[in-house]
Amino acid sequence: MRNLMLAAACLLLAGPAGPVLAEDQPHLTIKNHRFQPERLEVPAGVKFKLMVKNEDDTAEEFESFELNREKIVPPGQEIPVFLGPLDKGEYKFFGDFHQDTAQGVLIAK
Amino acid sequence: MNMAATAFGLRTRLGTAIAVAALLLPLAARADFHIRSPDEIDQGEIEIEHNGSATIDRNPAKAGETSYTTEFGYGVNSWWHPEFELDFGRDAGPGATTQFQGVTWENTFMLTEPGEYWADLGLYWEYSYSLLRGTPDDTLFGPLIQKDIGHTTHTLNLFLSKEIGPNQDVRGVDFSYAWQSRWNVYQLASPAVEIYGDAGRAAPFAKFQNQQALAGPVLVGSVLLGKLGKLKYEAGYLFGATRATASGTVRWRLEWEMHF
Repeated sequence: MRNLMLAAACLLLAGPAGPVLAEDQPHLTIKNHRFQPERLEVPAGVKFKLMVKNEDDTAEEFESFELNREKIVPPGQEIPVFLGPLDKGEYKFFGDFHQDTAQGVLIAK
Repeated sequence: MNMAATAFGLRTRLGTAIAVAALLLPLAARADFHIRSPDEIDQGEIEIEHNGSATIDRNPAKAGETSYTTEFGYGVNSWWHPEFELDFGRDAGPGATTQFQGVTWENTFMLTEPGEYWADLGLYWEYSYSLLRGTPDDTLFGPLIQKDIGHTTHTLNLFLSKEIGPNQDVRGVDFSYAWQSRWNVYQLASPAVEIYGDAGRAAPFAKFQNQQALAGPVLVGSVLLGKLGKLKYEAGYLFGATRATASGTVRWRLEWEMHF
């Protein structure tokens, strides 16, 4: 059993090296149940960490089918969302709990 | 979050999961047609889930086996999602009846942030308490591994399990596996292919024809319900790949999730 645990950890930590994480960290803010900015440019072809901060007093879920991500953002907290490498193009995202207002697009360039 | 904090968080989660696993050894086996993702953990979210399966075969001895589960889960934090499950089912063969078979405590641990490393890693552990006379309890444990490639998502579950108690049918540890490759086309409906197998008692394994092995197409999707949460579904048909497996198995899953 311990061998299985070790193998699982090794698969993750010593597995094939992924793309290098971009130094720039794009930021999104959720305020009044809207994303700011609603259109955000991100680097194409590299892996990056998108920081999503929720300044509302209720939780929100950052969700994107195109990016295959669903992440709860608790009120007053900031979370990382690891993305990429993305092909050039536009990727829609939304706040699952306030879909009428919380809409946005990542533009990979 | 800096790299040191990330590494500390990973070690903490890994350490917790290993400690829980070590405390709960030995392990046990249980067939279940459900691919478990390491990423499906949402803090503060309640889930109500139903899984079902039914076998089809010309041989009456392999036909009519059914499994129905109802699960209640909650995202305790960003990396631990426990569920409480009620298990109903019917054995294959004529004359069998559907019974309330047991209850299961399921635990999914997310060890890495989705997309942070080459693959996403989680751990799963469950304990099933049997309510049937002469049937053992069992426990199951193993890693959940997931990798996105372009518009596809590939998920692998590897499980060791062990029956517990005086009524064990299988001595030793049982090995089972499950694989899903999904093409993320539409949120409402995306096609996938799944493989399930149970090799039986580990080392030495039985001949492949005597193992349980199934593969087939599945449709996966979700419907956004606004303030009422989200409805997810899976439905598929699995073809038996060995003579020990029923020629066909219909499987389905319905899940409603809501954040509180």
